[in-house]
Amino acid sequence: MLGSQMRLMAVALAVLASLSGAPAMAQADEYAEVNRLVRAGQFTEALGKADQYLSAKPRDPQMRFLKGVIQTESGKPSDAIATFSKLTEDYPELPEPYNNLAVLYAGQSQFDKARAALEMAIRTNPSYATAHENLGDVYAKLASQAYSKALQLDAGNAGVAPKLSLIRNLFSTDAKNAQSPTVAAAASPASAPAAAAVVKPLPTPPAAATPTANTDIQNEVQSAVNAWAKAWSSKNMPAYLGAYAAGFTPPGGQSRGAWEADRKARILPRNRIEVNISDLDVKVNGDRATARFRQAYSSDNLNVTSRKSLDLVKSGNRWLILRESTGS
Amino acid sequence: MASRRFSQTGHASLPTIPMSGGIRGTRRVALGFAALLAIAWVVMAFTSQLLRGSGATQATPVMDARVPQGPASASREDATANRPSLLTSALAKMQGTAQSLVGLDSSGLTQRHLSADALQEVLPLLGKAEARLIAIYQLISEGRTREALAKADALVRDHPNFHLAHLVHGDLLSLQTRPVRQLGDVPDTKAEAAASQLAVLRDESSRRLRALTERPPEGSIPTQFLTLSPQSRHAIAIDASRSRLYLFENLASEASSSERERLPRLRLVGDYYISVGLSGIEKTVEGDKRTPLGVYYITSNLNPSNLPDLYGVGALPINYPNALDAQRGKTGSGIWLHGTPSDQFVRAPQASDGCVVLSNPDLERLLSTVQIRTTPVVIAPELHWVKPDALKTDREQFEAALEDWRHAKSRGDLNRLRDFYSVRFQNQGRDLAQWWPRMEDEVRGTGLRELQLKDLSLLRWRDREETMVVTFGEVAAGNTRGMTKRQYWMRERDQWKIFFEGTI
Repeated sequence: MLGSQMRLMAVALAVLASLSGAPAMAQADEYAEVNRLVRAGQFTEALGKADQYLSAKPRDPQMRFLKGVIQTESGKPSDAIATFSKLTEDYPELPEPYNNLAVLYAGQSQFDKARAALEMAIRTNPSYATAHENLGDVYAKLASQAYSKALQLDAGNAGVAPKLSLIRNLFSTDAKNAQSPTVAAAASPASAPAAAAVVKPLPTPPAAATPTANTDIQNEVQSAVNAWAKAWSSKNMPAYLGAYAAGFTPPGGQSRGAWEADRKARILPRNRIEVNISDLDVKVNGDRATARFRQAYSSDNLNVTSRKSLDLVKSGNRWLILRESTGS
Repeated sequence: MASRRFSQTGHASLPTIPMSGGIRGTRRVALGFAALLAIAWVVMAFTSQLLRGSGATQATPVMDARVPQGPASASREDATANRPSLLTSALAKMQGTAQSLVGLDSSGLTQRHLSADALQEVLPLLGKAEARLIAIYQLISEGRTREALAKADALVRDHPNFHLAHLVHGDLLSLQTRPVRQLGDVPDTKAEAAASQLAVLRDESSRRLRALTERPPEGSIPTQFLTLSPQSRHAIAIDASRSRLYLFENLASEASSSERERLPRLRLVGDYYISVGLSGIEKTVEGDKRTPLGVYYITSNLNPSNLPDLYGVGALPINYPNALDAQRGKTGSGIWLHGTPSDQFVRAPQASDGCVVLSNPDLERLLSTVQIRTTPVVIAPELHWVKPDALKTDREQFEAALEDWRHAKSRGDLNRLRDFYSVRFQNQGRDLAQWWPRMEDEVRGTGLRELQLKDLSLLRWRDREETMVVTFGEVAAGNTRGMTKRQYWMRERDQWKIFFEGTI
């Protein structure tokens, strides 16, 4: 239930390098495997993997964080609160555990605690956008409660709890902050294909290139993005999957086939999907382009808005998606 | 309404740029802030123009937490200087109302700008919770909304039933995500569901603020207190129009009775928000849910453990109906100063069955301070404040009449004495003819001895008639003690006449 209310936000994490150095590929695989199990809803297996890993490395913040996510997703908020609380004690400089504690507290309607946790998250990282957004929602909820108390309105009909964003990975992909290849893509519960497993820096533009000169090309890219969103909304799987380039890197180290199956499993059962794109900003660089926009996703039981970024490549006369990532 | 322009930002449309204060973002974020700000201010300026143009009085501008706290600090000083705040706009509105409806000239109050210094003088007089609320308003007016929020968090934690504090708290929380246009900028659905509660809280807020900006000048007193005996260690005056109770300490000492000492010397020691009757003031008949107007005394102190929760931590009954009320045929009883029930920290400006209601901490201050029987309680539709020596002429004029009465009684001149008594005289159902034998007995019993009036209190009450509530100890020469008497005098065709007399 909680899981359905959460939306994905990738995280910029400045402390990554100092904390863990360059993670070994083996670790990356373990994280990816746990992530995959979580996405597949195999929480018992995921938890087993995580515990196994933690028996060897009990302090590992990334796996402990994943364990908290598993506990959250599998409907064990008390366990999850304990896991994230302990993480905040051991790693007070990490904002993410505070953020997820807030999500859990808010899920229990403990908005004062949620606020305190988010304020801690922002204190540790003042430019932490997800925590700011979550805090905005919590403030709005607290304001609503305060007004109900002021006006002596029944707090019982004060409306639904705000939908806060759970952070799903401690170290997500963000080339700006990571000094080494980062691992374990963020994954979303029901909506988007998530960030790629490995960041491929965009090729440096040729000196002569004028990146935003050609508005015709920009319009082409915009059309491609809109067509992709339309295909998604109308559950037109061939058109949707066809929007991704052959060189597309599925998240979490998945194979293309597994990823496509995953997408079908997530999209087709919905009665209604609506994907709206706004604030679309396109930068073109030769045969590559980056589209950044705000994605409002709404389905039967989920409403989420997130920042999204698509890296596209020109292939023939079409622009196809090479990489999809979430977050600002 | 213009408020829709600032409709609450829902979850699904939260912009990328975090809106809450305190963020140190990238330059991109800063630019975003600046842009947002510019839009907010343009819209706001337009809105106020619009409202002013249409003659609306409630051109309440936006209070915007992002101004001083966003990284776009280049514009910070300008914005701060010009920023209309919740407080200042509320004050501007209030002050306009105050002058047009009440008129400060007649009240004798002086308009004071709410400077920090002025506040520091006033805050110690206020109830602690009100002082904390006012300090929050002050922080808001200075744009220090994060500090204001922290203080509001604490205030509602300590006083979970202080509804106005919750309203301000709600505004400060809202301010973290959106602009706030006015006090109690609640979503439309809530405003509709609780329109009257909202109006009442705004009224309470503006009354509290008015009490801060319209101050009695230093050393001034309400005109009712012509003379106050040293026996009355304290005095209470209530200004119903302003929902305020003023508690005075009487500085007169028993040692001296010189003319200088007979000038009332009262020091303001408390200044509290109060509620009056649901239907207002000027009680006339039982059950009219109005608070009486007049000069009263506290008669007792009721044990709170015998009282229902409604009355809070205690109750101080007053002597309504007094002799003047009885003379005028007023009915009803059980008018008390009392506290608030456990689920309400304060009550609305008009809420009681006719009692004067204080918040429990403020009532506790009264309970621990005032004495029963000797503490006068003046309840006026509006108090008028003057310097004590401005009352000298009126006092001397009345004292001349009282002195004549004393002479007549000292000489045992019953005919002359009877002239001082009104044909309207009444004492517990007896008219003057029925009561007079008692006076004859008393004069005979005393014999021809000079009477001395000690510990004199003169409390004047003016409405359509002019009356005087006179209390003194009547001591015959050679005696050390006498009886404490209370008389009610009324001016009848330029003659002061007694229409009630009794011992207390």
